Amino acid sequence: MNKRSTCAALAALLMGTAAFASSAFADNLTMWVRASGTNAAAHLVDLWNSTHPDKIELTTIPDTQMVTKLATGVQAKEVPDLVSFDLIYMPDFMKAGFLEDLTAELKADPNFASVAKAYVDIATYQGKIYGAGFTPDVSILVWNKDLFKQAGLDPEKPPLTIAEIHEDAKKIRALGPDIYGFYFSGACPGCNIFTTSPMMVAAGSKILPANGQDDALTGDGVKAVLEQFKEMWSEGLIPKSAQADSGANFASIFKTGKIGIQGTGGFLLSELKHDVPNMGFGVTFLPGVTEGQASSFVGGDVVAIPKGSKHLAVAKAFVAWELTDEAQLEGLAKNNILPSRPSLADNKYFAADPRVVVTAKAIGVGYVPWVYHFADMVNSDSSPWINMLQRAIFDGDVDGAIKEARQKMKDIASE
Amino acid sequence: MRAQRSRQLQGWLFIGPALLFVAIFVLFPLGQLALTSLTDRSLLGGGRFIGVENYLRIWRDSSFWRALAFTVQYTLVLTPILMGLGYALALLTFENTPLKRLTRTIVFVPVIIGLSSSSLLWFWLLDEQVGLFNKLLVDLHVLKEPIVWFISADLAFWAVVISITWKVVGFGLVLFVSGIQSINPDIIEAAIMDGASYWSRVRLIILPLTRRILLLTTLVSAIGSMLAFDQFYIMTSGAPRGQTFTAVYWIYQNSFVSFKLGYSSALSVVLTLVILILAALQITLTVRSEAA
Amino acid sequence: MSAATIPSELGALAPRRRRRTPPSVYLAIAACVAVMAIMAAPLVFSFLASIESTTEASSAPHYLPHSFGLQNYLKVARYQAGLATYVGNSTLVALMTIVACVALAAPAGYGLARFSPYGKEIAFLILLAPMMIPYQALLTPLYLDFAKFGLVDSRIGLAIVHTILQLPFSVYLMRNAFESIPREIEEAAMIDGCSATRRLAYIFLPLAVPGLVTVALFAFINSWNEFLAALVFMNREFSFTVPILLVSVRTGDHGAVDWGALQASIVLSVIPCLVVYLALQRYYISGLLSGAVK
Repeated sequence: MNKRSTCAALAALLMGTAAFASSAFADNLTMWVRASGTNAAAHLVDLWNSTHPDKIELTTIPDTQMVTKLATGVQAKEVPDLVSFDLIYMPDFMKAGFLEDLTAELKADPNFASVAKAYVDIATYQGKIYGAGFTPDVSILVWNKDLFKQAGLDPEKPPLTIAEIHEDAKKIRALGPDIYGFYFSGACPGCNIFTTSPMMVAAGSKILPANGQDDALTGDGVKAVLEQFKEMWSEGLIPKSAQADSGANFASIFKTGKIGIQGTGGFLLSELKHDVPNMGFGVTFLPGVTEGQASSFVGGDVVAIPKGSKHLAVAKAFVAWELTDEAQLEGLAKNNILPSRPSLADNKYFAADPRVVVTAKAIGVGYVPWVYHFADMVNSDSSPWINMLQRAIFDGDVDGAIKEARQKMKDIASE
Repeated sequence: MRAQRSRQLQGWLFIGPALLFVAIFVLFPLGQLALTSLTDRSLLGGGRFIGVENYLRIWRDSSFWRALAFTVQYTLVLTPILMGLGYALALLTFENTPLKRLTRTIVFVPVIIGLSSSSLLWFWLLDEQVGLFNKLLVDLHVLKEPIVWFISADLAFWAVVISITWKVVGFGLVLFVSGIQSINPDIIEAAIMDGASYWSRVRLIILPLTRRILLLTTLVSAIGSMLAFDQFYIMTSGAPRGQTFTAVYWIYQNSFVSFKLGYSSALSVVLTLVILILAALQITLTVRSEAA
Repeated sequence: MSAATIPSELGALAPRRRRRTPPSVYLAIAACVAVMAIMAAPLVFSFLASIESTTEASSAPHYLPHSFGLQNYLKVARYQAGLATYVGNSTLVALMTIVACVALAAPAGYGLARFSPYGKEIAFLILLAPMMIPYQALLTPLYLDFAKFGLVDSRIGLAIVHTILQLPFSVYLMRNAFESIPREIEEAAMIDGCSATRRLAYIFLPLAVPGLVTVALFAFINSWNEFLAALVFMNREFSFTVPILLVSVRTGDHGAVDWGALQASIVLSVIPCLVVYLALQRYYISGLLSGAVK
């Protein structure tokens, strides 16, 4: 062999070894995410993958199957290394012992200290912490500024109480036969726990019982909100189709520009700006009964590590990483997703649009219910929550509906 | 005698592999299911043995009986529609002219798309806001204004019946056509020459000679309807207020939403028994009428 | 007149006797056209909606699209692991299901049709039993069992589950197909000293091709479209099959329905099955007795 080919061979050998070495020490992690959170999660995971040798492979699970897959997976010992799911399932999973204890790492992490309280609460069980906020979303009230102007209302003044929503909706309805003052998805339990329950909470009610001894639907807020909704419905301020809407039109209908006011989620903002850039709209907190009362449902996905994860160290590193400024700003805020640390709400990406800042701040005033069997109590198609809403608003029996739901929720909580 | 016995043994050898497969992959898990039904196991793990308590609970579970009644109603309405329409279409199109073959193909295409796809397709068509079905009916002056199909249990029921008829009628069509085509054409010829009218040919020759496939297809279709789930899950979500839950949907709710694996296993066992009894009844009737 | 031909005008009198076609023929043609229009309409509208832009697909009902674009198809094709991966998985699983169904159902149908073992009816009922069980209920115990043998997240495991679903119907079809083969042929073979297995392979199977093709067709279609078991048994994006893609891609952020992607996914899910159906049509429409009896 002559000198040149020897050099080439050595170089090839060195490069090969280096490549082999780095790939030999780099891990491939698997991560499950639910379908509605995929886009958001992908931003973070792509950012991680581009800056770290260990790669995460994302698998999308249809929303309704996530719980089942995780539950059967843990029992069959076929789990991913990381999982991101709807945070309301945390209590069930923590109680069942499906998740790794992250208390030590998170408590020591300064970034964790500035995470929204709601996210910390939902991830804590018997003093231990099992997950962190990942791709947050929060509910807010939107109003159509163009319709407000046409109806003679001040487009910069949002309704500050539920009664004001009612009044404003009446004026907007008068604008035309296919213009409606208000909207809510009448057959969608999840949409309503997201946007309607915060109004009840803002008015002082507690919605769900934490256990069998706890009370459900306390306070006057529930009745006050249901009464207003019932009246708006009977006055025709809400489209007839709302009664059967199980969520399919929850996001799209406000975009048509024919709805005056609606409760919705932070996710809608970027969609509105993208799909109907000429529509003027405003964002505010969901109100209660008196001025100054406000709340929101702090939702979205948390990230956790299932028991049996094969790459524990790297998985923990990922959880720590996603709470850093870099990940929260470059991964989430840059892509119009809310950071789980409200202290980052005022950042350069959100500065251009104060509405997004409002949304990010809403995480700070919001609540998240800590309950077992959330699906049974709320999200299920025959849950006491949706039954109450439909009986109160569409059938007109507010008191009976609340009474029935209180009892059923307590029954479920005590199982 | 020995030849007879060795023939029998041979028969078993051929049936053997399929039987073994079913035993391992169906009967065994079914046994596990039955065992789980005697516990209060949760989807999230754990559970103790509680004997027949789950079954006693079923007895008192009005939601289950309502779901079962709904499912039976659905089966009793849908099956005659499917079989009647399928058979009528078979009579229309069993000949092998290009037009009739094309018709058969088009009728069969909906069978090919998945049940979840077709349910979503109709969900879209029937949607009050974006759906074309309502618009079409209004434009044809059949309706004055669009119906919100999923507001009431009755309308939702018919919405599902319409969508499933569209999807599944081709299945019956194909089977009935193969049945009619396998009738010896000489018999038909003879009838024509004897001057028999079209309807009496249908009544006296075609129907009786395709009886077997008609009855067995009815059975398969009925069982499928008793086990209906996907279409309701997607189109009605059990709304309004759980009135359009089918039996399997109720089992699903208990398993995956309420996490009550033990209880839902018991529900599955009960449903299977109900279907077995109904199927046995129908088979017995079939065998008896064939013997007559 | 040969027994193998089916006269093409069973409902009308023989052409020799009449010179004008009777009105019933026109009626039949009109009926066929009406039926085709009704049956095809939903799919045609779905296709039209799929080539619209995303926003238009979610807007008020309209017959013809105003905007054209292939964004919906691109979205489906590029989703997560890419359409090619899912199609590959689905195809492999469907093919394995076909092989398993035929390999199990053909001998079983033969045994049930041609031999009369004691308890034949019971065997038949056992083989039909899986149809009567809500299979969703079986998935959880099966999953836990399969996990112990490494059959989770494997296409072989999924093919086994699909075979469970298809086997009863396949056995029924094969038994039917074999029963309609005339005894004389078999007796002739037996006299010639042909063994049972030989008879199955060389005589019955070729004669039952239409039945086999029907089995293959339904096995393919049902395996291709099967969603729940695929989701339960597969754990990684790269193992997923087409139906899972179709459900995931319809879900926009936060549960909104992407109607445009939905239409594109419906169209895409129809095409492969339609191709298979059209390709195989010849074999089983051509009648069950293709000139076998002299």
